Amino acid sequence: MNLLEPIAERLRRFRNYVRITEADEIARRYFVMNAFDGSLTMLGVILGTFLARVHDPRVVIGAGIGASLAMGMSGFFGTYMTERAERTRKLKKLERAMVTNLNETVWDNASSFVSFWAALVDGVSPAAAAIVAIIPFLLAQLGWVNFNSAVALSVGLILATLFFLGAYLGRVSEENAPLSGVRMLLVGLVTGLFIWLISSGGTHGSALILVALG
Amino acid sequence: MTGSPEVRVTKMVLDVLKPHQPSILELSKLLGELDGVSSVNTVLREVDADTETVVLSIEGPRLDYDSVLDVIEQCSASVHSVDEVSVEKVDTDD
Repeated sequence: MNLLEPIAERLRRFRNYVRITEADEIARRYFVMNAFDGSLTMLGVILGTFLARVHDPRVVIGAGIGASLAMGMSGFFGTYMTERAERTRKLKKLERAMVTNLNETVWDNASSFVSFWAALVDGVSPAAAAIVAIIPFLLAQLGWVNFNSAVALSVGLILATLFFLGAYLGRVSEENAPLSGVRMLLVGLVTGLFIWLISSGGTHGSALILVALG
Repeated sequence: MTGSPEVRVTKMVLDVLKPHQPSILELSKLLGELDGVSSVNTVLREVDADTETVVLSIEGPRLDYDSVLDVIEQCSASVHSVDEVSVEKVDTDD
C-alpha cells in the first residue's frame, strides 16, 4: 500500500497537469491520427510486398520494424519539438498576463510534462499499430502459419485496428460508434484497393486505375 | 503556570491573481489541507482572457502566511495585496 502511494500520487499529479493544460484533446487527436498512419503504412508495406511476389516473412518483418521505428522516432521528436514550442509560447503569454515568472510552478511543470506526454502518444501509437500488423509474420517466421495466411491475418488485423479507431472517434464525438468504425474501415479498403491496382501494375491494373479515375 | 503570550494569525483576506487553471476549487482545497487552516472562502471577483482575480478569505487557529504563499505560488498565482488580517493573543504553557 505504502509502496504504491508515491506512484498513485505521481499519477494524480500527471492527470492534474493534463487537465490544467487541456492536453487530453490533443493527445486523443495524435493517438488516432498516428495509429491510423501506422496502420495504413503497414497495409502499404504488406500489400506491396505481397504483390511484388516477395513471400519471405523476414522481409515484411524487417520492413515493418524499420517503418514502425521510423514512424515512432519521427512522431516522438517531431511532436516533442512542436508541443514544447507551443507550450512555451502559451506559458510566456500567461507570464505576461500575470506579470510574474512562473518557473517551478504548476504551469511550468505541466507544460514540460505535457510536451513529453503528447510526444510519447504520438511516437508509440503508429509504432504500436505497425507492430500489431507484424505479429502474423512473426508467426509465419516461426512456422505456425503460412505466408499467405499471415498476409490475410495481418490485413484483417489492420482493418480491425481501423474499425476500432473509427469506433473510438465515434465515441469521442458521441455519434454512432459502429458507423464511424465502418467509415474508417472503408478508408482502409479503398487504400488497399489503390495499392493493389498500382502495385499489381500491368494492363489489368492500369485499366482499373483509369476506370477508377473516371 | 502560563508562559509568554503568542500572537497567532487567525484570519487573512488576500487579493490573488491567478490563471484559470488550477480552478478556485483546487486552490481552495489545497489551502484547506494546510495545518492550522480550518476554513477557506474564495470569491471570484474578475475574469480576464488568461487570468482571474479572486479574494481568498482564510481562517484557522494558527495560520502561516509563508505556507499559504507557497501554495498560491505553486498554483501559478500571485498575491496582489493582503486586505485583512486578524490576530489573537494566546497564552501558551511553558
